Amino acid sequence: MPPDVPVQRATVAMDAEVLVIGSGAGGATTASVLAEAGFDVLVVEEGEWVEQGSVVPFSLEQMDRQYRAGGVTVALGLPSIAYTEGRCAGGGTEVNSGLYWRPPGDVLERWRDQFQIVDFDPADLLAIADEVERDISVCTAPGAYSEPSEVLRRGADKLGWRNGEIPRWMSYPSADDAAGGQRQSMTRTYLPRAMRAGARLAVGCRVDRLVTRHGTAASALTTLADGSKGTITFRHVFVCGGAIQSPALLQRSGIHGHIGRSLAVHPTVKLAARFADSLNVPDDVPVHQVKEFAPHLSFGGSASNPGLVALTLLDQWPTFRNAITQWEQMSVYYAAITSEGLGKVRSVPHMKDPIVTYGLTWRDRALLRSGLARLALLMLEAGALEVYPSFKGAPSVRNRRDVATMQQAFSATKASVMTVHLCSTVPMGELEGRTGADSFGRVHGCTNIFVNDASLLPTAPGVNPQASVMAFAIRNARRFAATGGRRA
Amino acid sequence: MPQVPALPVVGSFAQRLLATDLPDLPTAKRNETVGFVAHRIDTLPSFTRFGVLVLGSVFRTLLAVPGGWTAVSVLMKLPLPLVAEYPRLIRSLSFAYVWEHWPSTTPTGAST
Repeated sequence: MPPDVPVQRATVAMDAEVLVIGSGAGGATTASVLAEAGFDVLVVEEGEWVEQGSVVPFSLEQMDRQYRAGGVTVALGLPSIAYTEGRCAGGGTEVNSGLYWRPPGDVLERWRDQFQIVDFDPADLLAIADEVERDISVCTAPGAYSEPSEVLRRGADKLGWRNGEIPRWMSYPSADDAAGGQRQSMTRTYLPRAMRAGARLAVGCRVDRLVTRHGTAASALTTLADGSKGTITFRHVFVCGGAIQSPALLQRSGIHGHIGRSLAVHPTVKLAARFADSLNVPDDVPVHQVKEFAPHLSFGGSASNPGLVALTLLDQWPTFRNAITQWEQMSVYYAAITSEGLGKVRSVPHMKDPIVTYGLTWRDRALLRSGLARLALLMLEAGALEVYPSFKGAPSVRNRRDVATMQQAFSATKASVMTVHLCSTVPMGELEGRTGADSFGRVHGCTNIFVNDASLLPTAPGVNPQASVMAFAIRNARRFAATGGRRA
Repeated sequence: MPQVPALPVVGSFAQRLLATDLPDLPTAKRNETVGFVAHRIDTLPSFTRFGVLVLGSVFRTLLAVPGGWTAVSVLMKLPLPLVAEYPRLIRSLSFAYVWEHWPSTTPTGAST
């Protein structure tokens, strides 16, 4: 369902009262609020508009068309951590699992107190979360759960571990058709809403840098999809490119301060589990998660098409390779941790992309080890015949004794560690030295440059951050609309 | 500035690695897979791409000398963090492509 207002191709010369850079969870909600408040809004997106259903979810084609660098992006470190970023209209909301977690109240209070976020009542943000949940149809799945999801529920129940279905932003055609659900991503919700209110969306437009003078930006230098150079003039700019691209753009624009110094992620390690019967669902993810050890440690299910099963077996291919013939009886699961490590995003002169680094702490490594062992145990309890942990030198796991052996053999340095939740590179608040933007996203030292995406979250929230991103973006945009962009 | 295409740099190593890991993969599929790997490397973020092509050049040079594959095999077994990432990247991209496109491929690469 394309929007009823046509998407534009970016041109070499554009202008707007408010420029929004990026069209994901932060940019789309920002544009919607500001357009409905009567501002002349232009949203620019580096990627293209890709209609839902035109690519198979979690496929290589989707990675080619909707992810940055085909999904092959990495934070360097020991180990390096693979991550992904959406690069299309709607951003990450078009390609992620659509699972929804509202921001935990205790986390919001901690952020307010530790980062000195002013005029911030967690109850107000949760009221915005209520609105978001209505707007994007957050609901549980109708009918029966998929078997990979049942595996998580069954294993956790046997161990007495807390677990449950995570709602998603989906609309379902009927009460028993979970497979026919359509994701209510930004291209289905906030972007069309913004455009109906007068916002313009221009795709195929990368912003290379903002031209600033004494903390005020008046134009952006761009590169269009065909390689031509362009300029956008504006009065105010909201940078909503996500936790990697937003700090990188600010740095390229000569804005430094506490920008890109505190990347936070939820590192994950994976395993594949083989069962007696077919259960593989190639194009969807389980809706159950296990939260017994949250917020430090959570378990869930990953996309499991045969290519991704092969990837999970790769680190120990010589001994695990025969399992690939039974990929239909296999599914991939992850253990995610709330990390105490820290990453950095650095722009380098004459390089188009930033360098991203991340360092795990010893506590993170221990948590990944125990997380993978507990996940393997859960799989055995759920009836797995054999479990294949994803690290070099891993033994396969068939019983509890093997779990102990596997735990001893694990080292994070030998593991395929990845993440999809990136945040905190321009943390918000008034605390000097630890925040890059004020309590409403205005970049410190700047007059008309705002950040309004995952970069603002002061730390990793311990849950999927997209709901937090949308709620904060709406809060901040409303404040901007109420004050006309002036300091309150 | 025009960028160096990845295929001439990584192609020979990717071919050899796939021939070793998946010896029964038909040549046409192997060529297609190597083409995909090179395409993906061409779209990597600039710094990562630079690093991959530097490592690719080292591996290509080693492969060009007699007994080069033995030296490369030893190199791949050493616990050298960044060096180890290179064959891992090639394998990851290749295996994801092979099993997504031909899911009935056997562990040696044969078609069933």
